[in-house]
Parts: sequence; structure tokens; C-alpha cells
Amino acid sequence: MYKVYAGLAWSIAGGVVVQAAAIAFAFGGLLNSVANGGVVDKALLESRQAGGVGELGFVLHALVGGGLIPLLAVVLLVVSFFVRVRGAKLWAAIVLALVGLQATLGFAIVGSPYLGLIHGANALAIVAAAVTAAVRVRRSSRSAAMLDRKQATSDAVTS
Amino acid sequence: MPSRRDILRYAAVGSAMTIGLGAGALAWSGTLLGEYSVMDMGAGGEHAAHAGHDASASAAGAGVSVTSLTADPDRPADVHVRFVVRQEPIDVPGGRRVDGFTVNGTSPGPEIRATQGDLVEVELVNESVTDGATLHWHGIDVPNAADGVAGITQDAVPVGGRHVYRFVATDAGTYWYHSHQVSHEQVLGGLLGAIVIDPAGTSAPEPATDVDVDVTALLHVYGGEHTLNGRAADERVEAAAGETVRVRVINTDQGTAAVWSAAPFRVVAIDGHDVNASTDVNGQRLLIPAGGRADVAVRVPSDGGAVRLQVGGARGVIIADSSHPEASAPPATQPQDTLDLLSYGSAEPLAFDPTAPDRSFDYVIARRFGVIDGRPGNFWTINGRMFPDVPMFHVREGDVVRMHLRNDSGDVHPMHLHGHHVVVLARDGVAASGSPWWVDSLDVHPGESYDIAFVADNPGIWSDHCHTLPHAVDGLVAHVMYEGVTTPFTINGEAGNRPE
Repeated sequence: MYKVYAGLAWSIAGGVVVQAAAIAFAFGGLLNSVANGGVVDKALLESRQAGGVGELGFVLHALVGGGLIPLLAVVLLVVSFFVRVRGAKLWAAIVLALVGLQATLGFAIVGSPYLGLIHGANALAIVAAAVTAAVRVRRSSRSAAMLDRKQATSDAVTS
Repeated sequence: MPSRRDILRYAAVGSAMTIGLGAGALAWSGTLLGEYSVMDMGAGGEHAAHAGHDASASAAGAGVSVTSLTADPDRPADVHVRFVVRQEPIDVPGGRRVDGFTVNGTSPGPEIRATQGDLVEVELVNESVTDGATLHWHGIDVPNAADGVAGITQDAVPVGGRHVYRFVATDAGTYWYHSHQVSHEQVLGGLLGAIVIDPAGTSAPEPATDVDVDVTALLHVYGGEHTLNGRAADERVEAAAGETVRVRVINTDQGTAAVWSAAPFRVVAIDGHDVNASTDVNGQRLLIPAGGRADVAVRVPSDGGAVRLQVGGARGVIIADSSHPEASAPPATQPQDTLDLLSYGSAEPLAFDPTAPDRSFDYVIARRFGVIDGRPGNFWTINGRMFPDVPMFHVREGDVVRMHLRNDSGDVHPMHLHGHHVVVLARDGVAASGSPWWVDSLDVHPGESYDIAFVADNPGIWSDHCHTLPHAVDGLVAHVMYEGVTTPFTINGEAGNRPE
């Protein structure tokens, strides 16, 4: 369970990196299309068939941010109940809360663009929280394993 | 070896997970819609009406079927058109080849031209549209039987089938037609065209607007490419110096289109209704909602030059003096300032009194996570409820109806009511002060609210939905239902009706 928990937490952190890369790629492609004479307007965006270079970036950002990461965060919280490490549940809950906030901000950006500033900063907070969760569990699992090993050795010696 | 405590713990967790999964599956299957009738939607509308008389006056009991709400069947047609629709690739002139739909071999389909008062008869033949097709007359207040909404006013016409639409072209103006079966795919794919109704008793030039030349500018994005009248190119219109050109801009896309020019222009009609005393627009852009139309008048320069009217972000209509074929005009920067139709033109009295409505409804749009028809997602809600549990707006013929539209979501919604035109009374509490702003497609931006009114004078069951069509798929659709009207058609049944 320690490994699953840590794996999930690292995946969430990695997912955020993918998000940053995808959105940068998407806007690069968009600006490239505009530079080549393309016109981006509401009609084009809503037609969902733009097909430009960066299109894949937007699709990836929506799928990973709107589906994959929230799912991983929920699973992380569920798994945290089977990990006997102090703070595992707390950090999983923090990650899930930040992810929830992030998705909400993402959907609200069109109406209130300034929320984009928080969306970008909050992404880093998710990485930090996810890495903290992963590292804490790994550290305690290591010390627990060491404790077990010591126990086993002393048992062997005494027997 | 796990301890007894561990075994107990695993058993408890296992049971909890089984129960949780079971309950989840049950809740999920409860969202599956299966075959349904729109008449069963809306839980009686009790959460929609907050004034007026008995709002739950339902259509139950002996009713009038939508199929009987037709134009005079004995009257011969003045305009008869036969439309054959196909599912086939479209070669966009100046652009790419894209998969789509055609009407009589082209997309956009042929423009229908009729005169006010004409009885228009259109025979739809489906040659190869596999999902079936219909024709909806966007903006024309047709009798309900001719509204063309699959699963409400007819069954989708299957391959090899035909259907006849008949209606009287009561109001002159600019309109369009499009399929209302799997509309988010078929409209996007080009199953659409323009229909223009000329005023009765006049021939060009029209005295009211003093128009000499009349052109249509239909906007559509095919495969990510902006087109004007089906071509990925600008349009050129030539007329004599000093003459006025009426450009009928039709936004068939899923989002707002901007219209602007470096030269002054006048907005002479919105959604098929003339603007009273239109004035010159300078340094402002006009926004046309998805599905909406605007007729714009531009004067041909007398100095031998040309005027460029930008229609949508990518295309323009170049209006030039015919004696100067070399004249052109470069694109102008889009103005940031938007023409406010709330105060454009001159006020005139309405033909009805919206201050004492018989019905008042709220139509509040928001968004939340949930499951519709087994599909999880972030869906639109109406008055806090998710499809199909959205309100049904029950009305009686002759009612004056007021509606308060509010957008609590983060995206713009072009709201389209079938079969009626609504007049805007106020936006964000500020009363309309210009020419009566009659619309059938109205953009409601995030945080905005509109008070609108209409007279319930066209019995039937009418969709009232967002014309960014993927939003309608995601639940942004409600209905206005007249007392005593019933429909024999169903959605998701054997006929495969999927209107959105």
C-alpha cells in the first residue's frame, strides 16, 4: 500500500508537469496558427474541429486536468486509509482539495480570466503537496521496514 | 499470518467497497434515460413558476397533438422546394475537403427566397444521412408541426424517407434552416442553408431602409476553416456609388460572431425584425450570437474607394463602386467597444403589455459535476436542476410570458426559443431604451441577467435551448409547453430521435 500511495502521489505531481507542458504547447500552436494567417474566434473554438498544431495540447490539458488527475487524487485519498503513516490521510486530503480547487478554477477562467493567475500558482501547490505526501510515506515506510528488520534480527538473535 | 483484527478489518473494508460500488452502479443506472417523451420532463414545472396562475396546468388528458398544428392543408404552396440531403464530403472552395452533409449537393444548401405571406412548402428527402435528418426553420415562427425537432414534432427522416414542411412566411426577414436531429454533428457538418423572406408589396429598393442591393453573408466553420457563403474567401459586392447594400449576416456557427467596419454602417434588422430608426455605427462592433442574424446596411463610397465589412473574425464583404473594379479595402482592427442593442435605435410602443404577465419564469444557468444518461461530466444546470429534471415552462395560449434569464456559469450562452420572438425588457436591471429588441437568439454572458417577454401565440411544444449546440447535448435545453398540447413522438426510441 505504501508503494501504491507513493506511486499515486508521484503520478499526480507528474500529471501537473504534463499539464504545464500541454498548455504551453497548445498556446504555442495557437499563436503559430495566428502567425500563419489563421483566425481564432468563438466560432472556431466551439466548432471543436480546429485541427491546428496546438489542438492536441488543449485536448490533453482538458483530459488530464478534468479527468485523470482528479481521479488519481480521489484514489489517493481512498488508499491513504490503508497506509499507517501519520499525515498520509491529511496530505491526500490536501492534494484532493487543491485538485478540486484547480479544476473549479479551470472551468471558471473563461468568465473570470484573472483566476488564471491562481490556477497557475495552485498548480505548483499541487506538485508540492503531492511530492510531500509521496516523500513522507516513503520515509516512514523505510523507517518501518528498518524497524521490522531490526526486530527480525533481534528475534533471530534471541531465539 | 494476518491477525484476527486484520481479517475483520479487511472484511469490513470489502463489504463497504461492495456496498459502495453497488450503490454507485444503481445510482449510475438511474441516470440512464432510455426512451422518453419531453412531456414527462420537468416535474410539473413547480420550481419554475413563481407568479401567475396555476403553473402546473399540465398537458395531461385529451389534448391536441403537435401533428395537427399545421398550416392550412388545403392552401396551395406559393413556394415549393425539394431538398435532398446526403452525408458526403464537402469540397470547400478555397479550402479543404471535409466530411459533412449536403443539401441538393451543396453546403450551405440552396437559399430559399419567399415573399411575406407566401405559403412555403419544403419536401425533405433523406438520401444517405445515416442518423436521419430533419429541417428546423431557425427564427421563423412556424406552426409546431413544421418545427422540425426530432422526437418532439416529428420522427427523424430515415435514409429513403421523406417529410413535407409547410408554413406561411408571416414575417419578412433573414432566417436559416438546419437539421435538428443530432444537431451538434449535422449543423456543424453543414446540413443548413439560408432563407430570406422579402416584405410583401415592395420590390427593391425597399422604402423603409432605402436598400439598393441585397446580399446574404452566411458564416460557417468547416473543418476548422472559416467560410463565407460556403467559400473560404472574402466576398465582393459591386454597386453604384452612393447606393446602399444590405448584408444579411447569418451566424450558423457555435459561437458569437463580430461584425465591424472602418466605415459607418447601420444595423437595420436583428433576427428578422426591423430596427426602428437605426443610426450610423462608428468605431463599434456588432456581436451576433450563435444562430442569430443581423442585417447591416453599408453605403458604397462615392470617392471610388471600397468599404470592407468584416463578418466574423476571418472573412469580409468588400463593397465597392462598380465603376472602380480595382478598389479594395484592407482589414480594419476590430473595435473593443461593442454596440449595445439595448439602447440602439428609437423606442416605440410594444403591441402587448409585458408589465402584467400571466406567467413569470426563471431560467438560471449554472454548471456542476454529475451524470447524464450514464455519462459523467461537468454539466449545465437550469434553475439548479440537471437534465432531464429541468423545468417545463407551462403556458396557455394568449398568455403574456415573462422570463428572467441569468447566467451563473463561466461561458456565454446563445439562448434560442423556438416558434416565438421574445422582446428584451432589461439587462442586469437596466431597462431597454432603444428600438424594441426582438430576438430569437440572445447571448447571455457570464454574470449577466436578462428580462425578456413574449406572447404565447403559437401553440405547441417548443425547445428553449442554448445554440452552442454541444451545450444542448450537455443538458442546456428546456421546453415551453402549451396547455393541452401533446406529442406522440419520443426521444431515444425506435425512430432513433436525438434532437440535440
